[in-house]
Amino acid sequence: MSTSKYKANSILGAGLGLRSSHYQEVFNTKPDVPWFELLSDNYMAEGGLPLVRAEKIREDYPITLHGVGMSLGSADPLDMDYLGRLKTLIKRLEPTYVSDHLAWVSISGKHTHDLLPFPYTDFTVKHISERINQVQDFLGQEILVENPSSYLDFHSTEMTEWEFIQGIAKSTDCNLLMDINNIYVSAVNHDFDPYEYLQAIPADRVKEIHLAGYEKMDNYLFDTHGYQVHPPVWELYKAALNRFGATPTLIEWDTDIPDFPTLRAEALKAEKLIQEVA
Amino acid sequence: MPFNQVQSLSDLKKLQETFYDAIFDPSSNNIKQASTYIIGTEKISEAQRLSIYRDSILGGITAALTHIYPVCVKLLGEKYFTHMVAGYLKKFPSESPDIGNYGEHLPAYIAEFKPAKELVYLSDVAQLEWLWHKAFNAPSDLSSSPEQKPLSELQNISEQNLPLVKFCSVSSANLLTSLYPIQRIWQVNQHDFQGDHSVSLDEGGVSLVIWRCADFGMRIDELNEDETKFLSAVLNCASFGQIAEIDFNQGLDEIVQRCIQTGLVIGFTTG
Repeated sequence: MSTSKYKANSILGAGLGLRSSHYQEVFNTKPDVPWFELLSDNYMAEGGLPLVRAEKIREDYPITLHGVGMSLGSADPLDMDYLGRLKTLIKRLEPTYVSDHLAWVSISGKHTHDLLPFPYTDFTVKHISERINQVQDFLGQEILVENPSSYLDFHSTEMTEWEFIQGIAKSTDCNLLMDINNIYVSAVNHDFDPYEYLQAIPADRVKEIHLAGYEKMDNYLFDTHGYQVHPPVWELYKAALNRFGATPTLIEWDTDIPDFPTLRAEALKAEKLIQEVA
Repeated sequence: MPFNQVQSLSDLKKLQETFYDAIFDPSSNNIKQASTYIIGTEKISEAQRLSIYRDSILGGITAALTHIYPVCVKLLGEKYFTHMVAGYLKKFPSESPDIGNYGEHLPAYIAEFKPAKELVYLSDVAQLEWLWHKAFNAPSDLSSSPEQKPLSELQNISEQNLPLVKFCSVSSANLLTSLYPIQRIWQVNQHDFQGDHSVSLDEGGVSLVIWRCADFGMRIDELNEDETKFLSAVLNCASFGQIAEIDFNQGLDEIVQRCIQTGLVIGFTTG
């Protein structure tokens, strides 16, 4: 028998990232959205209005918690205070999935609040796998880790990003959140084949997909989350669905956030493609 | 082993510290050091790749501070605010994974920020915005300590024990005193303000309490001299006996009643 205090606990179809500008519309109209993703770092305070809103949303929808604060790739020890607050939030909101990124955010106790790259080496596979295992042991549940977009490579890198993810999947039992836009952005920036990347990902570990819009700069693509999903990313997404199956998918839109109907329309495009492979 | 190998925790730490320094203190030497790790191409050089991350990080943090300090942005202009944040970041690194905790020292930094020295009230306006942000995110008073008793039980306290009573205010309350009319400056710079936008500094200073009441409504209330003294004592955990010795213009009962009626004082302890 389930001990959950909420009625909806699993996610299917195309969800939306909940942003503060849409709270009121969601509260007032209770739109037919299958699930919402909440940015865990915005709800880590002991109280306050954001947390009250999150609990109100959770009463009506299943949610996932997605964060940037774990700093899994950092050389610093894990921040156990942060993880403790995340654990409290998980208990409070009962998310279907909890996710963070294969990136570092802080070093020597100083935080950048952005997702930064590290070299893909045997050492970093081991280091990050150990940290993922530590996090999962502490939280008492599996997490999903997401591939970030990147704009530089290191001389010391010994393997491709997909080989690195394969290494993580072998050394841990965590699941994967594949950001298709990030794969495409990195593929253009680093001149690799995004379809080769997709083929190398262990399909049984992929539990969620992210989609977003990039910005075309002079000589690279930048992952702004400020546009509709671009056509080549939709194409890559179709290939991802064919490989991973009907995977819950989230539309991320964080800058120049449009009105709710525009955001919902973008999610419905993904929903249609999910239905085609279901 | 070449300098840029990453095969141990100390290698990784060195890389990340070098990268951090190149982002937040982009001197030519720091960029040169960080570039030794990075593969540059004809399309994009090592330094350009670093600057993509720098712009992204500064942009993200500036956006977060803009959200906390919208009136300061309006008064300074976006360009100067962004310039100021870059300097602030260098002096005050973010020490919390929660970006909402970042920016506490900005009012003090503004007070020393030379390009804004003519805006003598700006530091106090910034302090008001920070306290608003803190109150918005303060814990609910429903989860207050078990020692806290409801005000309805005050009548059961004997006269002998009354001096030991310590009033409890809402946890979101903070006082702010300024030599300038900062509440009016804040009000006329709200995006939905309608009316006369002019404010004269001759209007004089104010004493304010910034707080969130039980129904999550945000409040900025102006206090008179007595209310300021009383609430300041309450926030400093003074006992009723100590408060009774303060020299008030009005009767203490009247001041206490007013603070209870507004919802600022919500309980008491006798410990």
